Amino acid sequence: MPREADISANEREFIQQALRENIRLDGRPFDSFRSLELSFGDEYGVADVQLGKTRVIARISAEVTAPFPDRKFDGIFNISTEFSPMASPAFEVGRPTDAEVILSRILEKAIRRGGALDTESLCIIAGTKCFSLRADVHIVDHDGGLIDASCIAVVAALQHFRRPDVAVEGENATIFSIREREPIPLSMLHHPICVTFSYCDSGEIMLVDANLAEEQVREGEVVITMNKHGEVCQIAKYGGTSVDALTLLNCTNVALEKVKDITKFIQSKLEQDAKKRDVGGLMAELSAENAR
Amino acid sequence: MSSKAVLSHLHRADGSATYSQNGYTIIGAVNGPVDVQRRDELPEEAAIEVNVRPAVGVGGPRERHLESLIQATLRHLILVRSYPRTLIQVTLQVRSLPEEESAGIGSVLTNSSLTLLPHLLNTAFLALLSASIPLSTTLTSAFVVITSSGKLLYSPSSTDILRAQSIRSIHVFAFSAQRSLLLSEGEGEFDVEEWEDACDLAEDRCCRNAGIAGENMDVDGEVMNLADFLRDVVKEKVVKEQKWKTAP
Repeated sequence: MPREADISANEREFIQQALRENIRLDGRPFDSFRSLELSFGDEYGVADVQLGKTRVIARISAEVTAPFPDRKFDGIFNISTEFSPMASPAFEVGRPTDAEVILSRILEKAIRRGGALDTESLCIIAGTKCFSLRADVHIVDHDGGLIDASCIAVVAALQHFRRPDVAVEGENATIFSIREREPIPLSMLHHPICVTFSYCDSGEIMLVDANLAEEQVREGEVVITMNKHGEVCQIAKYGGTSVDALTLLNCTNVALEKVKDITKFIQSKLEQDAKKRDVGGLMAELSAENAR
Repeated sequence: MSSKAVLSHLHRADGSATYSQNGYTIIGAVNGPVDVQRRDELPEEAAIEVNVRPAVGVGGPRERHLESLIQATLRHLILVRSYPRTLIQVTLQVRSLPEEESAGIGSVLTNSSLTLLPHLLNTAFLALLSASIPLSTTLTSAFVVITSSGKLLYSPSSTDILRAQSIRSIHVFAFSAQRSLLLSEGEGEFDVEEWEDACDLAEDRCCRNAGIAGENMDVDGEVMNLADFLRDVVKEKVVKEQKWKTAP
């Protein structure tokens, strides 16, 4: 199927009219997220995020490669997003849609260039060996809010992931498998979270976490990436009608609230998972991590 | 060895299934019949497109090979002639592999793409069921491993294979409900007798017994017959769908 079916004029009119009367189709307030579910797989570094009907699975994997010659002290970190017809028949394999390009660009900006991951800690021997980290984002079900859901998935998966331990002796590096030595968590500097605002009536109506129908009706979107300390990592607005500066400022305040909630939510889920894995309370002894 | 299947859990796809067995978890989705692109259009039958997506990275030759095998099998299963000039799209996403395989320890297993194939086929079939695509028969698929001592292992887990150490060949079979062989893929060294033994073993586990149903379940609860498993899944699906009728 070459493209997604457009929303009908009647539906569009109905949703817009309802929004003007302060009602959303699913009955949530304008500034509220859909129900968020997060679960981790049996392996390290797999996060399954469900945001309403949207479902995204992020998977982190690591391998040892040579670093880029101009960045000898840095490891490599890549995010790959590829839509599959599973999420919607409109997505074709091997032909990225605009949404896909925007999603990968925003994730790239928010997480990779926002410096969430300390890539220097991935270096094993400068110039010759480093870890190459890869985040695969699988969109399983698509009902809007892909950017928010993917960002949560990747950040949660990064926090959940454990890389194999290494021992360096001069020029030789030994990589220990999971069975030999307890793997080490990644060093993350902060946890950026994206919040997408969709607006109608040139910024009069601001919606948090629009679903697919609302995404098709909106006039434009503003993606704000923040961490829980209130530091804005990026603001992206791709086209659409212009928005008042004061409204945008207001958005960042709302975003901060949401980011704090989500970060807390991820943290609680991570703790739950750690408790589940920590059979017999041996984790503290096995861990080779140094207290900082 | 326990198989688990969840049907119709995705909202956007016409049909979907998650199938897990022995540490393999695969999500399958089917869309169809949908519009077909001009270049793929077949004048007298539905085109079938299979996408296999690995858990890590983008697909390569290994995935393309699996896709072509699955496509060829499904083509004979789906009543393609009832939907000319349309497309039936099957997407199979590998969600997790057994630990040994993803860590790259199981040397023979990692080199072979065949161990994944029966799981992909079973998932694809369940997703087709969930999408209510008309089919001519059911499909069950399994693999058999022949060790160097000539022992036959049915659908062994990766730890079983590590314990058996050296493996001579791997065989994948798929059977229809009428016990006819739909697919046979082999890898390694073997002779005709061994192949026949492997085929018999797989047929025994894949197809319903002529006698009493569920007969071979009592063998230490060891292996559940795949056809019986499939029947249970379908039964569950029908019960769920007919709930509105039976509710008081």
